[in-house]
This record gives sequence, C-alpha cells and structure tokens, in this order.
Amino acid sequence: MITLPSYLFISFVLFICGLVVMIARKNIVAIMLGIELILNAAAINFAAYTKFINQNLDGQIISLFIIVIAAAEAAVGLAIVIRFFQIKESIHIDDATQLQS
Amino acid sequence: MFDQILFILSAVLTMGGALAVVFTKNLMHACVYLLVSLFGVAGLYATLNADFLAATQLVVYAGGVVILMLFAIMLTGGVQSTFNKFGIVKVPGMGNAKTYTAGALAAIVISFVLFKILRNAAAIPAKGQMAYESTVEKIGGLLVSDHVLAFELSSILLLGALVGAAVIARPRHIKDDV
Repeated sequence: MITLPSYLFISFVLFICGLVVMIARKNIVAIMLGIELILNAAAINFAAYTKFINQNLDGQIISLFIIVIAAAEAAVGLAIVIRFFQIKESIHIDDATQLQS
Repeated sequence: MFDQILFILSAVLTMGGALAVVFTKNLMHACVYLLVSLFGVAGLYATLNADFLAATQLVVYAGGVVILMLFAIMLTGGVQSTFNKFGIVKVPGMGNAKTYTAGALAAIVISFVLFKILRNAAAIPAKGQMAYESTVEKIGGLLVSDHVLAFELSSILLLGALVGAAVIARPRHIKDDV
C-alpha cells in the first residue's frame, strides 16, 4: 500500500495542479500559490526517495532547503506584488508590461 | 495500520486541496485550500519517517507563507479586484475559458512526459525501509558537517530576502511630474 509509486503519484498530481494554476490564473497572487504547489511536489519526491532508495537523509535535507527557498521566494514575490499594486492599482498579470514605472 | 490510515488521510487532503486550488473561483478560498494541501504534505512527511521535516513544514508554511499570502491578498484589494482606479470593469482575476484550456493542454502534455519518466523511475527496486527513529539529531549533525556550505548560503539567501522585501515594499514618495 505505502510504496514509492504512490508517493510519486501524489507528487505528480500536485505538480500538475500547480502547473494548471500557474497557466490558467490571471492573478499574480494565485500564480504564486501554484509555485508553492510545485515546490511541495519536488520536496515530496526527495523525501520519498530518501526513505525507499537512498536511506542516508540527504534527501530530507534537500527538502528542508526547498522549504527555506520557498519561504524566501514568497517573501520577495509578495513584496513585489504589493509594490506593483501601489503603482498600477491592479494585480492582474496582463497589466505587468513594463519594468519601469 | 495506523500508518496506512494516516497515509490515506494525508493523500486525500493533499490531492483534494490541490484540485480545489485549481477549480475554486475565490482567491481567498484558494489560499485556504492551499493551507489544507500543505497540511496533507506534512502528514505525508510523517508517514515517511521525516518528523523534523513535518514539523518544519507546519511551522514555515502554515505559520508563515499562507499568512503572508493572505496579507498580500487583503492588501491588494481582497477578492473584488475587478475594478481599476478609473472604475472600469476589468477581466476577473481568476482566469477564463481560454486560459483554462491552455492549462488543460499543458497538463496533458506534461502528464505524458512525466509518465514516460516516472515509469522508469518507479521501476527501481526499493531497498527496504528505514528503521523508525528520530531524525532530528542526524539532520542537525549533517547540516553542520556535510551540508555546511548550503546551510551558510541559505542564511545569506534569507538575509537577502529579508532586506530585499523590506526595500521593495517600502512606500516611496511619488514625484509630482510623473
């Protein structure tokens, strides 16, 4: 029941959901939700392989660094979103057409 | 038996939360469904004997990232951001039929590619399972011995993200001639 392919399937579903969210949404915050889903899918794969194949905890440490990087990315990305909203009064992705305000 | 119940619950929470993030129309609800999905991922880590990772997932994501996302949604006009500052109705921010079609097509293509890869990857014979014990001491030892470079680099990354976020989000005085 609890085997490696089941974890791979859950990670696969999570990755596809994140991809569809990133493509289909028009809201910048919603796109960042998709990025979080994709990063979690990668972290699940690392933790699953370290239990069933590798067995020396390196995968769990890489999952830990993925969580750290996701936190940093969320902080900087949301700061950019708030700054963008102050300038453009919108968080629609199609309004982001120039780098200089 | 207990592991199987925990695994099934976590899998249902993870996949159901992720699908709800895709199909809900309300951005605030999507954020809360993301929280549900991340709780499920923490449960999956618990079934993988990764107790430290499960605790970190709960603390960082449930306590940090999702709250940050909710703050950003509320600071940028909540869920009703369909009007711009001139009062003109804009496209609703949650996508339309065209973008969902593009997303579905990309999902199908990536599904085929990933199945092609994962069918080989899942065929690797498992070497048995790790013994059930706490991983906190081993992770702590590995972080300051084998992975010390990545550990220090992540500290620099977090400092840069902290300062960068504060600098970017700082309100600036708007010039009169702009």
